[in-house]
Amino acid sequence: MNMMVAADTMPSVQASAAPQSVAAHISARALAVDFLVKGHRQRVLEGIDLAIPKGSFVSLIGPSGCGKSTLLKVLAGLVAPSEGTVTVAGVAPREAAKHRMIGLVFQDATLLPWKTAIENAAFLLQTADKSIPRKQAMERAAAMLQLVGLAGAENKRPAHLSGGMRQRVAIARALALDPEVLFMDEPFGALDAITREEMSRSLLEIWERTGKTVVLVTHSIDEAVFLSREVHVMGVNPGRIIETLPIALSHPRTEESFTEPAFTAAEARLRGLLIESHRSKGSA
Amino acid sequence: MSTQPMAGNGAASGAQGAAYHAASELVPTLALTAAVLLIWELAIHLLKVPNFVLPAPSAVVASLIENRIQLATATKSTAVEIVVGFVLAALVGVGVALVIVRFERFGKALYPLVVLFQTVPKVALAPIFILWFGYDLAPKVTLIVVIAFFPVAIDMLAGLQSVEPSFVALMQSVGAGRGEILLRVRIPHSLPYLMAGLKVAITFSVIGAIVGEFAGANAGLGYVIQFASTQLDTALVFAALVVVSVLGLLFYYIVEFAEHVLVPWAPKFELAHRN
Repeated sequence: MNMMVAADTMPSVQASAAPQSVAAHISARALAVDFLVKGHRQRVLEGIDLAIPKGSFVSLIGPSGCGKSTLLKVLAGLVAPSEGTVTVAGVAPREAAKHRMIGLVFQDATLLPWKTAIENAAFLLQTADKSIPRKQAMERAAAMLQLVGLAGAENKRPAHLSGGMRQRVAIARALALDPEVLFMDEPFGALDAITREEMSRSLLEIWERTGKTVVLVTHSIDEAVFLSREVHVMGVNPGRIIETLPIALSHPRTEESFTEPAFTAAEARLRGLLIESHRSKGSA
Repeated sequence: MSTQPMAGNGAASGAQGAAYHAASELVPTLALTAAVLLIWELAIHLLKVPNFVLPAPSAVVASLIENRIQLATATKSTAVEIVVGFVLAALVGVGVALVIVRFERFGKALYPLVVLFQTVPKVALAPIFILWFGYDLAPKVTLIVVIAFFPVAIDMLAGLQSVEPSFVALMQSVGAGRGEILLRVRIPHSLPYLMAGLKVAITFSVIGAIVGEFAGANAGLGYVIQFASTQLDTALVFAALVVVSVLGLLFYYIVEFAEHVLVPWAPKFELAHRN
């Protein structure tokens, strides 16, 4: 508990200032991950240090194969690191997940087709906590559906929802756990451009209202700049963080944010880094 | 925020439209069937084909009416074999799939054997089952189970295993075990696949019953077919064939109806079956 108070009062501790980042809500130190590929040990992530303050919105961006999804899985406790330590809200990610501190959203909504939107939104909560009465779980799910803009679609099955709506249900399902952090792996990757922008704005709104810590994996520069307070740019061979870029845009972010000089500057910088990173991937 | 009305009535009128559409689709097929029957009838009369070689459709109909009591009794025997055999085949198929998924190691050992067993021409086992189990229900039911459990097991298995890994990871991350994931996610997810398997199994069951009766029986439509052919009563052979086909069709649509009732959310599968 004390730790969380500390995190609240010191939201902007930077990794450089405090390597022993007790205040960070999500922290990774000297993280490395090896995969066994056809009997060969292959290092997919190396030397990852992260300190993400509570309530922040952070993006991981990089060329394909840089291990950004793997990093997210490590932070979420789905993949165990080979070296180094990770903590979420002060405990190991697997523990955090068991205590409903982690919400996950993937590129595919992965809804259960035989369940309605509201039943899908309540499903993980009911799985995580068997003692919650059905009625209470449904009320919570309904509230989350409303938060993600799906009031009125509670009783529709996934087949009758659009791609964007399905992804909103997936977000509601994650939020229904009332997690401390929301890990999102290219959540809008499968959506068309317009829906994608709409979803980005919704996500910002949800973030502002709930104050969750969000870690987003994306390959869209626009999305990363528009949404994040900080963008971690990753490189390949092995996957590592090559630069951490604070985004100095004003809050709340709106349509106008896109035209701010800070936006274009950050965008240009990210593009440069990504092109460089992509080239090194080609030569390797 | 106000609640929006559901798309319930839209779906209902859609179903009605679909029924009308299906009926109008049937018209060309019915017309073609009528034409073929007419040509068949005329050809038999014009070419003076003997009745024991190929009976005219009218002779088949006459035989149907004449032998209706014998055919009805035979139908009852065959139908009982099909129903009992099909139900057991379904249970065995589902059981095999569940065991393979739930007990991973044992499943890895079992799966190749199940596939290997499928390559045995099971129709050839019919005489052995007669030898083991006599002339009554048991050998036919055994043959049906052996023939029809495979599509059920394979389709159910595909359904159980096709849950998205990321969703399984999600369930595991909040503390769900294998058993819970199987019960709450994999099994419901597999139901449309199971229904597809059952539709294949029911047609296999009809084949199993008839072959079982060929191998040795004193009742049933297969027995009627075999007996009538030794008597050169080809019209009765065809009459029994008509009854078998109608019976098979009836059972198939019962399974399909069950699919609509049990898994209304299922994506519609194309009828692309392997034999």
